[in-house]
Amino acid sequence: MRTAAARASLAVAGVYGFFLIFAQFAFVELLRGAGVGLGGEKAVLGLMAVAGIAGGFLIAWRGASPCGIRLSLMAAALAPEATAFPAALGVALVTGLALGMATVGLAALLPAWAGVAWVGLGTGLGYAACNLPFVFQQAPAIQSWIGAGFALAGCLAVPTSREWLPQETRKIFPVWAAILIFTALVWMDSAAFFIIQHSEDLKSGTWGEGHLWRNAAVHLLLAMAAGFWLSREGARSLPAVAWVLLAVAALAVNHDASRGVAAWFYPAGVSLYSAALVAWPGWFSGASNPRGAAWRAAWLFAIAGWFGSANGIGMAQTLQRVPPVFIATAGAGVIGVMILTRRKSLRPALAVGVVALVAVLARGGPASTAPAPSSAAERGRRVYIAEGCIHCHSRYSRPGSPDEAIWGPSHGAEETLKGEPVLIGNRRQGPDLSNIGARRSEAWLKVHFLDPRALVPDSPMPSYAHLFEDGRGDDLVRYLKESGVESIPVLMETAANWQPAASSGSPAEGKALYANHCSACHGGLGGGNGPLSHHFARKPANLLKGPFIWTHPDGNPELRLRVARVIKFGIPGTDMPGHETLTDRDILTLTDHVLGLRR
Amino acid sequence: MREGPTPTDPSGLSTAVRHALGWLLFGNAVGIYLSVLLLDPGWQLGAWTYGRWVPVHLNVQLFGWTSLPLVAWLFSIYQVDRSRLAAWGPAAVWAWSAALAIGVLDWLGGQTSGKIFLDWKSGALWAFTAAQVILWAVLAAAWRERSAYWPQLRRAATLAGLGGLALVPFSLVFAASPKVYPPIDQTTGGPTGSSLQGSALIVVGLMLLLPRVAALCKDSRRRPGIWIFFALSWIVFGVTEAMGGTHHDPHQIFSMLFLLPWVWWLPRDWRRFEWPEGSVAWRGAMFGWWGMLVVTSLAMYRVGVLDRIKFTQALVAHSHMAMAGFTTSFCALLIVLVTRRRMGPPSSVALWHGAAFAMVLVLAAMGWMEGAHPSWMLASPAWRELGLLVRTACGALMIGASLLWYLERRKS
Repeated sequence: MRTAAARASLAVAGVYGFFLIFAQFAFVELLRGAGVGLGGEKAVLGLMAVAGIAGGFLIAWRGASPCGIRLSLMAAALAPEATAFPAALGVALVTGLALGMATVGLAALLPAWAGVAWVGLGTGLGYAACNLPFVFQQAPAIQSWIGAGFALAGCLAVPTSREWLPQETRKIFPVWAAILIFTALVWMDSAAFFIIQHSEDLKSGTWGEGHLWRNAAVHLLLAMAAGFWLSREGARSLPAVAWVLLAVAALAVNHDASRGVAAWFYPAGVSLYSAALVAWPGWFSGASNPRGAAWRAAWLFAIAGWFGSANGIGMAQTLQRVPPVFIATAGAGVIGVMILTRRKSLRPALAVGVVALVAVLARGGPASTAPAPSSAAERGRRVYIAEGCIHCHSRYSRPGSPDEAIWGPSHGAEETLKGEPVLIGNRRQGPDLSNIGARRSEAWLKVHFLDPRALVPDSPMPSYAHLFEDGRGDDLVRYLKESGVESIPVLMETAANWQPAASSGSPAEGKALYANHCSACHGGLGGGNGPLSHHFARKPANLLKGPFIWTHPDGNPELRLRVARVIKFGIPGTDMPGHETLTDRDILTLTDHVLGLRR
Repeated sequence: MREGPTPTDPSGLSTAVRHALGWLLFGNAVGIYLSVLLLDPGWQLGAWTYGRWVPVHLNVQLFGWTSLPLVAWLFSIYQVDRSRLAAWGPAAVWAWSAALAIGVLDWLGGQTSGKIFLDWKSGALWAFTAAQVILWAVLAAAWRERSAYWPQLRRAATLAGLGGLALVPFSLVFAASPKVYPPIDQTTGGPTGSSLQGSALIVVGLMLLLPRVAALCKDSRRRPGIWIFFALSWIVFGVTEAMGGTHHDPHQIFSMLFLLPWVWWLPRDWRRFEWPEGSVAWRGAMFGWWGMLVVTSLAMYRVGVLDRIKFTQALVAHSHMAMAGFTTSFCALLIVLVTRRRMGPPSSVALWHGAAFAMVLVLAAMGWMEGAHPSWMLASPAWRELGLLVRTACGALMIGASLLWYLERRKS
């Protein structure tokens, strides 16, 4: 029994391996390499899909058998013949039929050979094998030979016994529900796959050099986990978890900052549901014999597999992204079906429907459709609220506290409480912003929003580059620039009265401080040509020449103090920011380093 | 439509408990994700930034994990599951969760009122109001049917309860309005001592009510003192709240001092009741956290201390002491009382509290350092990241414990 199970698992791996490396990758590339146009490509792939559906229904009608599966996998080994049009049409027809027959036949007979955990292992092995660098990075022609090898290996692995084990089958979802759930998942998978595949930076960030071994491991581990989970009665909740993982991946691919996240979640979600997709007809559809399982598999793979995949790719081709509403719709489909098939009473669905209807109606109400304010600063205030800036930034410099020396003068509670809503905040992960307009320029704020760590190393603030795609970022900058701008005279007075209460540190410390806090704008050597200098209308000062040319590094302590004050408090009204969070000792150390640059 | 529940239908009470634990799990997962984001902002998911996830974490913990056990308690008090409308109990819970889910999507989409813990706005606000109306209707219908079998006092008290509950949706709409903001301590920008006393007194009221509704009294002697002091505390709150002021003002400190007797009095009061098996660990934990909360609140309200820790991680530590420590213990105890079943294996209970305590200690230490110099978080990235790493690890352990609780309930 264990030998049959291992062989069945390898057969699953072979079919998945062939499907992934040939049908999803190499075949399309071979067509393009042979100069087949978009119309021809669609025709060939369409033919493969129709043949796949036909093959599935054919084996369901004629009855699944090990022999039939073997023959179809042998036919699939014709893959390397797909060199050009019209031979590609023939290969599409044959491999489509072969895939349809092999997948449906295997799904129907697997319970005769193995426990469901073995399906997870086979799925994981198939995915992992395709992600190995020496497979994934081969030329399409070689990949089609590798695909043929997978098909032949699968053919040899197919066990011979046909004993059906009805005691292991359960009905988790009815046919319509399983079709809906898996269609939604395949739809999301295909759309995210297409977008990743057709964007060079995404591809290098997810399937590029160095990621392949990791992807192979994630696929293998998650598919095995799926098999284990399915064997432990987790079949109901697995699709929802797969949706969550795919949803995270699909959202993450839309933005530069989060594409690394997609590289983890995408293979995890795909592996989970792929194992369940193979297992459902035999174990969880309620089929009492291979014929029943084959019919269910034929319908499932035809609609969810071929149709869902084509639609996902079509949508991604049109929109070039995965819209959140599409992800939410897929999630509503998956979770809605799970709820509807579980609850005997429709009352919860009715109550949820009422609540959802109220939300929709209220959203269209007069309060929600009020026109956006005409002032950029007021629009920016709305962005500040929407982005939840209050969760990291206070807007209250406490009167009489050390806050005032660092974040500027207090505006008092009365002034702060005038806001609707009050944006006082309750936690500082970052600086207080009540006087930010007096402490930072618009250009500095924008650069910081685009890439906070470029200006402030180790900053926990995320990038808000996406806000500048539609003007919200500029509005937010305008709002911040107007915050406390009237405090400039007070800040200048504070700076003028400031006396550092410490001695300076070593030159090495000064160099490190300069690298961290100054070099991005003023350049590594102080020439005013740092990597961020081009963002500012007036170039950052060339510290080798001026404006400190009139100071003497070793001489006048008053001039040294003036430079220290500039470093500590910046120059209000210019792009030069203060370094309010540095200690007096750090400021003096940095001052000495900056003055020493001219020597 | 069937008229009543069949044995295979979940009850409203068990549905509320399951949903509460589901939201706890989700809220904890979001919490750990927030910790990860602070360590590495590169884990941000597109436009769903840290600032958009925070209201999800806070509101899910408050309106999901904390509120739904109270809903289960209401089902128990009004005997919804024994009424002909029992099948509507789960529906009311699903409506509640659906409204919260709509809220989650809205907050992630940037739709927020901008008020912490009251981020409800637009569609989500009215959806949540609708869910509360559905719940109230179910309770009212159950009362109408079941109250005929109850003694006069219970009938009157539960009717008054219904009256109070009818005000909740209006209160929420009012409180979520951006035009409303409570008085603040002008020196810190935080709540006044009397505000803290007022919110704590609501919790005291719940703790006075819980054993009288859910446990058996083994000592029938009347002790009016506790109720007199409770009423007096509310009067002190009303007067000092009207006077306003800061933590430098004696009357605000005086109002906070009125919380201190409850550290001793509440456990003493609870000893008069018989408690079901499986509740002792949660009761002990709850009073442990309660004592810590009150004592640290008083200590933190002192001049010099509050000035140092305002806006720092120390207040985050205090919030976790309140939510992860005290409130979680209270909700878990409530679940034990209404279901008469344990909440997780003892090891998971110890794991939760151990991890929560370690998290509180680390955050408090970070806050104390930060208070010495307001820029400590920015200027000491290595220490900040170490602290956040420990916090993340504690969060992972707490997720593990809450997963066990969820799975245990789901199986049943």
